[in-house]
Amino acid sequence: MGVIELDGLTKDYGDVLANDDVSFTVETGEIFGYLGPNGAGKTTTIRALLGLLEPTSGTATVLGADVHDENALIDAKQRIGYLPAHLGFNEEVTGAEVLDYHASVKGGGRRDELLEIFTPPVERPIREYSTGNKRMLGIVQAFMHDPELVIMDEPTSGLDPLKQEEFNEFVRKECEGGKTLFFSSHVLSEVRRICDRVGILRDGKLVGLEDIETLMGQGGMRVQLRTTDEARADLAALDGVIDVQTFADGIQFIYTGEYNALLRELATHDVREIKISEPPLEDIFMHYYGADGSVESNQKVQSDV
Amino acid sequence: MFETTRYETNRRLRGTLILTVGVSLYVAFIVWYFSLVDASAYEQIAESVPPAMRTAFGIQTIGTIEGWLGGQIYTFVWLVGLGVYFAYSGAGRIASDIENDRMDLLLSFPVSRSQLLLEKFASMLLPLIMLNVVVGGVTYGFVVAIGETIDPMHLVLAHLLSIPYLLVCAAIGITLSVLVNRAAVAERAAIPGIAEAVEQHLGESSGGCGAGCHWADVCSLARRISSWRGGRFLVDSIR
Repeated sequence: MGVIELDGLTKDYGDVLANDDVSFTVETGEIFGYLGPNGAGKTTTIRALLGLLEPTSGTATVLGADVHDENALIDAKQRIGYLPAHLGFNEEVTGAEVLDYHASVKGGGRRDELLEIFTPPVERPIREYSTGNKRMLGIVQAFMHDPELVIMDEPTSGLDPLKQEEFNEFVRKECEGGKTLFFSSHVLSEVRRICDRVGILRDGKLVGLEDIETLMGQGGMRVQLRTTDEARADLAALDGVIDVQTFADGIQFIYTGEYNALLRELATHDVREIKISEPPLEDIFMHYYGADGSVESNQKVQSDV
Repeated sequence: MFETTRYETNRRLRGTLILTVGVSLYVAFIVWYFSLVDASAYEQIAESVPPAMRTAFGIQTIGTIEGWLGGQIYTFVWLVGLGVYFAYSGAGRIASDIENDRMDLLLSFPVSRSQLLLEKFASMLLPLIMLNVVVGGVTYGFVVAIGETIDPMHLVLAHLLSIPYLLVCAAIGITLSVLVNRAAVAERAAIPGIAEAVEQHLGESSGGCGAGCHWADVCSLARRISSWRGGRFLVDSIR
């Protein structure tokens, strides 16, 4: 039985179908990335998993508890950590008071250990906190009761690159220790670094569910080369060439076809410089967002690659 | 159990202390002022005002310390001031948590929604009890200090009866807080909500202040609340 199981989960707000028949399972000890641009419906799924909203149809279980069953879910929540995207801590209290409160409700055995890694100034009031400090306080409260499952919504937003790297290292160790981590993100590079498997959400629908390795493998290779105008036109027309971008004296594309065909085509042209590399996850991600490989302007994905 | 109540109570402890000290100082001033005035002059003034006003504000006994306190403290401060305060304070409890994105994290706790709501409501008990105990004690102390006497049982009864009244005000506020997502809207609605809800659901108008009686809104509010039997009894019990 999976730690998280979604079966046809649908949430219809009337004007927006935020989740449309979403089904997947997250296994024990897995780091599962839930990908999608802003507004795709990631937070709706998370809120349904925590029993914060009632699904329109379908169901889900978290640590064996049905999300429709409040009592069962309350028991399960003892073993769940949650880091929301927006941390609205009371501004006038200190970080230590926030952690005291959270510890009194759900326990805080690992608080000191976590405060050595993530270092919010706990003696100061929250109103003096930067976004990064609030995020670190949020991470501490999510993990300090040593939960079996941690659900995180955009966990690294606001963290500086150094802390992001410490966070990535931390979650990998937690996962090795048997924890299951479910996190939503639109920052693709971090998903690539730490996730075992990803689910890709588009307009409320699950459009991809893959191991990260498979996902990368399916994405073909990125080819960048400097060549003649004639060659640029021929290469752009080649089967398996997508996401073409042309420059003054070069071309860049993702090649998903057979390599010999590409090499034969290249041999017939004057190639001045060539670079073949693994494509960034953004390019793979874009395959799930429209046949033309483009993302609508209001659905821009963000990356720090 | 009651972790949220403890947290919310501690968070507002400073505000509770300031409010208690503030109301106590006001009571001290009112009692001290009574020691300076000529009681018979006030009785004459009371005689000269229209009967409707005397009934509405209970000023027929303004020349006695009980009547003076009933008019100056228990009508305006307790019924109107604290009634509005608790309604306003209750109105911010849930709506502000939703507005500031706090509620999702609170609902991720292993507690039921009803318990969370109950604990939030219970966090208003400390200011409610502290105000009644401290201000009640201060009132008695100052009355004795200026050489007047007051039946302590009447004083205790007045404060005791104010507790369910203020709890109703807080409940109206917290109900609005659940119904409305924005704290400012809930808080603004709570103030007239007290007057309307009390008049419509709890009481019947005494008609003491007729249609031709053009009072300021706050006076109207006081009349409406004091027209509630419980409120009237609360004010009368001090006399």
